[in-house]
Amino acid sequence: MDIKSVLDDRVIRSDLFAVNKEDALKKMTEMLQKAGYVDDAAGFIADVMQRESLGCTGIGNYVAIPHGKSPSVSKVGIAIAKLQNEIEWETNDGKGVRVIFLFAVGTDNENAMQHLKLLAQVAGKLGNDEVVEKLLNAGSVEEIKTIFE
Amino acid sequence: MNIVGVAACTAGIAHTYIAKEKLENAARKRGHKIHMETQGVIGVEDALSSGEIETADVVILATDVSISGKERFEGKKVVEVPTETVVMSPNKLIEKIEELV
Repeated sequence: MDIKSVLDDRVIRSDLFAVNKEDALKKMTEMLQKAGYVDDAAGFIADVMQRESLGCTGIGNYVAIPHGKSPSVSKVGIAIAKLQNEIEWETNDGKGVRVIFLFAVGTDNENAMQHLKLLAQVAGKLGNDEVVEKLLNAGSVEEIKTIFE
Repeated sequence: MNIVGVAACTAGIAHTYIAKEKLENAARKRGHKIHMETQGVIGVEDALSSGEIETADVVILATDVSISGKERFEGKKVVEVPTETVVMSPNKLIEKIEELV
């Protein structure tokens, strides 16, 4: 299984409009729900917000990685959105956020190990400044996917 | 300098792996040898060998939760920081450790 199997066109946007964090999470969760990753959108958002309350998911350089382990997740996946505009987000570098990676992870992960490993790979790449630079310059869903392949 | 360490965050989904990548890049950029183990939802990955631990000059624990196998580092110089510190300022952390060791 390679990284392509967690890069799903249906849950990647290169020009999402969102007014703030809540709006972005709502829209990205809707994408995940429509594509069959999340059963209960409200329940999932509540679990993501619970994780948000524990500390920054802004990792600096305009990137945020909200996530949560939630029983509302039926299939492990990741929604990616480049925003049309910068929004406010808790980070330590004082910058806003322009790219969001919303990780959907369930509570029973025994059968999802392969996918979770790929999610970890995607997360790891976000620790690389060159990857982040490319993300900030990407103009299409295809370009975003290419960065991780 | 020889650096080993473990990264482990609250959910074990994202920060753990970002911390590993950032710390390894920052250390290598300054000419150090480094190997970070991760402990997350997928279990232990890139496990440290006892030989690596033995020859390490310093151990970095980038952790928000208790980790398994902490006793492996008994008697070593151990620096403990939250994953957030590593994610936000990896270079500063390495520079600080250089002064320390």
